[in-house]
Amino acid sequence: MGDERLELPQGTLDLLILRTLALGPQHGWAVSERIQQISSDVLQVQQGSLYPSLHRLERRGLVKARWGASDNNRKAKFYELTAAGRKQLDADARSWRKLAGAIAQVLDMA
Amino acid sequence: MLSDIAYRLRALFRGKAVEQELDDEIGFHLAQQADKYVAMGLERDEALRRARLAFGTTDRAAEECRDARGISWLEQTSQDVRYAARVLRRGRGFTAIAILSLALGIGATTSVFAVLDAVVLRPLPVPEPNRLVVLRPLVRGDRFVLFNPVYEELRRRQHVLDDMAAISDSSFLAVTLPGSVSPTYVAGSLVSGSYFRVLRLEPQIGRLLSDADDTRSATCAAVISYGFWVRQFQQSPTALGQQLRVRRTACTIVGVAPERFRSHQAGYAPDVWVPIKSLTEPELLDNHRLAFFSGVMGRLRDGVPPAAATAALTTLYQQIEATEPQGPTRPGTVAPGPTDYGMRLLPGAQGLGVLREAFDEPLWIVLSIVAVFLVIAMSNVATLLLARGEARTRELATRAAIGGTRSRLVRQLATEGALLSLLGGAMGLLLARILTPALVSTISMDYFIVVLEPQASTRVAAVVAGSVMLATLVTGLLPALRLSRVDLQPAIAGTGRTTAGSTRRLARSLVTAQMALSLLLVFVAGLLLRTMTELKSVDPGFQPHQVVTIEVTHEDRGRAPGTRVDPDAQAAQFRVLDDALNRIPGVRSAALSWLELFGGSDLWLTMHPAARPDDRHDTRVDYVTPRYFETVGMQMIAGRDFTPADRRGALPVVVVNETLARRRLEGVAAIGQSIVFEYPRDQQPPFTVIGIVRDSKYNGLREDKVEPMAWASLEQWPQQVRAIALRTSPRAGEEVVRQARAALAAVDPDVMVRKVTTLEEQVDETVGREILLLQLASSFSAVALLLAAVGLYGTLAYAVARRTREFGIRMALGAQGGRLVGMMLREAVTAVGVGAVIGVPLAILAGYACRRFLYGVGPADVTTLAVACAVLAAVAVVAAYGPARRASAVEPASALRCD
Repeated sequence: MGDERLELPQGTLDLLILRTLALGPQHGWAVSERIQQISSDVLQVQQGSLYPSLHRLERRGLVKARWGASDNNRKAKFYELTAAGRKQLDADARSWRKLAGAIAQVLDMA
Repeated sequence: MLSDIAYRLRALFRGKAVEQELDDEIGFHLAQQADKYVAMGLERDEALRRARLAFGTTDRAAEECRDARGISWLEQTSQDVRYAARVLRRGRGFTAIAILSLALGIGATTSVFAVLDAVVLRPLPVPEPNRLVVLRPLVRGDRFVLFNPVYEELRRRQHVLDDMAAISDSSFLAVTLPGSVSPTYVAGSLVSGSYFRVLRLEPQIGRLLSDADDTRSATCAAVISYGFWVRQFQQSPTALGQQLRVRRTACTIVGVAPERFRSHQAGYAPDVWVPIKSLTEPELLDNHRLAFFSGVMGRLRDGVPPAAATAALTTLYQQIEATEPQGPTRPGTVAPGPTDYGMRLLPGAQGLGVLREAFDEPLWIVLSIVAVFLVIAMSNVATLLLARGEARTRELATRAAIGGTRSRLVRQLATEGALLSLLGGAMGLLLARILTPALVSTISMDYFIVVLEPQASTRVAAVVAGSVMLATLVTGLLPALRLSRVDLQPAIAGTGRTTAGSTRRLARSLVTAQMALSLLLVFVAGLLLRTMTELKSVDPGFQPHQVVTIEVTHEDRGRAPGTRVDPDAQAAQFRVLDDALNRIPGVRSAALSWLELFGGSDLWLTMHPAARPDDRHDTRVDYVTPRYFETVGMQMIAGRDFTPADRRGALPVVVVNETLARRRLEGVAAIGQSIVFEYPRDQQPPFTVIGIVRDSKYNGLREDKVEPMAWASLEQWPQQVRAIALRTSPRAGEEVVRQARAALAAVDPDVMVRKVTTLEEQVDETVGREILLLQLASSFSAVALLLAAVGLYGTLAYAVARRTREFGIRMALGAQGGRLVGMMLREAVTAVGVGAVIGVPLAILAGYACRRFLYGVGPADVTTLAVACAVLAAVAVVAAYGPARRASAVEPASALRCD
């Protein structure tokens, strides 16, 4: 842990959340677990900061929420991607790849 | 978009549920995370602790979620308001001072602006008021008048205006209502037939006047005001066609003016409009140098710019004046040539400007005074909030530490300021309802009854909203932003002393600003006070004490139009009245006169010594009965007064003042010489000079040079009496006035008493605007001083509280209490000193701004300035004394313990 972990660049948290939810409806804790798993514990997400992002996405209509029971039968709020969310994910992912590619190219050239 | 609205609405209307859901969600997360740690082998308690750590501050997350929801400002605001109300309730004294001072500032500003709006800014309720112009003829740059023949020719030949209208206002027009015998006196306007067309008005009912009504042969048509229609005719359409007698002419009511229309100028609300020509003697209108109007207005023709119209009318006016006969000239002047005449077009959207011209400048000055006061009140509240805020630094630090975001803290502090401003504004509006009528009543004109209807126009509303917003900004946001910048770490660490530098600087500069502005107000009040004392000490040249003056107006109804009153009968009437007045118990002497001393009007006639017909000069003239000079207290320095023997048929006699005797008639040797008055209408015999009276002021205390003046005997040359003066014994009261009224009514039932006052009041009235300014400036500067003292006291008291430990250490190390008192006083004096450095130039600027109202004192008077500074310093020292004493009374031991 520790030294290797990166602070998440601004605005990428939304993208990661959308990507995670693309796999299916999840509650907040699962989303945070999932992000850390997928990113092989490289990305540092303060767990508390996840929720404002989720609420913002809900307000923008990119995700929708419903209450349900978790695996261990606790009452939990599940988030799932809407059609608009899926579209947004595609667009964001495309531009992110483009940007990342461009930066990598610049770095390799140097 | 839709989801956004749904989300917000849910958050708004189901706030509690949404809050609960947020708690549940965070709770679920923490439970899951703790489970995970337990599974990894941690104890339950330790697992929960770690879970919280991983999550971060739950409050902050919740707060950010609320922000993310976007609706929360509403809930937060209501939370902030509740919290602010609690804080304000806790500090009752502070809250009361803050709200009252803001209320006074906002209320006064609103009132003054509402009156200013009604008098100066509000356009007439007519279509396209901006195309209206007022024609202002000038001769050598001085204001002149349009005589009727000149007006008519100008109107006929000009082509830059749609039309022109002439107006003559008459505040006391004798109108006999249908079915009534005796006249009542109402405000009226004699207007040209073009009047309503220039204003582009449509009648409420019936029709308005037209050119066809304004001819000598037309039967008189009258238009009545909406208010008159309601009062006298209960809005009945049968009012049309009824007969009113206006003066001596029967007029038919043809229409009612529109409801919202008052008149062609602010403050004047006539009830009757009648054509000039049907009510004015033809010979007056035909005379080229006699009859003129209250004003002439016009409406610019479409596409004609004002400058082009001015040029065209000036050229035309000069052409017309070139062929006009020249009138008499004032002493030592040359008759003007055609190019000396000019025509200026003033914006006419607000109509003729009698009231506006008199009160425009004073009202702006008053508005500036109350606005400066408002700024003082606002910065005072800001100072106190800041000082209190600083005392609350630790509370704020704690709130920040437990997850209050900075913007949230700013908002909370700003809410306190906003709440104070809104409460102050609401109270201010209530206050304005009382202040506005009081202010309107102080605005009065001698020659017309001022009817002002200050109303909530958009401009007034904007001023109210603006001042409340500004107050919020200054009292709330300024301290809030400053306090939120304070580094809160040391505060929570317990000292809080190093943090306060910038806050204290802001508080100090606010106090300094209050000092500077208070100095300005005190200085202006001082200048006006000096002005009043100087004016009061001016010797008017007569004795105004113990003199009752009765202003009368007279309309005889029995006389057929065009016939003259029999002068012998009139003279006999005057003798009877004069005798009756002089016999009233308590009256030492009484006299009638044509004009009124300090009444604002005068008449000039051209005269020449009988021996030198070419030595023509103008002189002021009045007609009086015997004992006039004794009654008003003018001193006879040579010769004799009039006597009842100076009656019709006897040798015509005249009394002159020193100036006339010295300048025109070889001084005292004037007695016995003959002078000739050149009347416009009749040829009169020479008058023999029988007496010389001491020079005196005539219409105002500020007159710096005495004009030549002559008095003729009223009984020899009867005129309409306008004023009665009674010199009474000191104990005479209302009874004298009652008996004088009875004597008047017995002699002539048609006489109406316009005004009963004293000569002293009459003199005071001529400096009414100065008195108004003085009263306002002095009361506002007194309250401003008080506020500045409170502000200074507040900052110093908090400074002492903050530095208790420092003082304790100093005392423990052997500092004397006196040194500490000195330290605090020095701080106060510094505030005054810096305030004075900024305030003195401002004060001098203010002095120049109102220099037209000063008398006997310069706008940068050094003595007044020094006194103002001294007053300010004294107030500051008094304000600082309490906190200073407290500083010196600090117990070293308790001070060191207190942290």
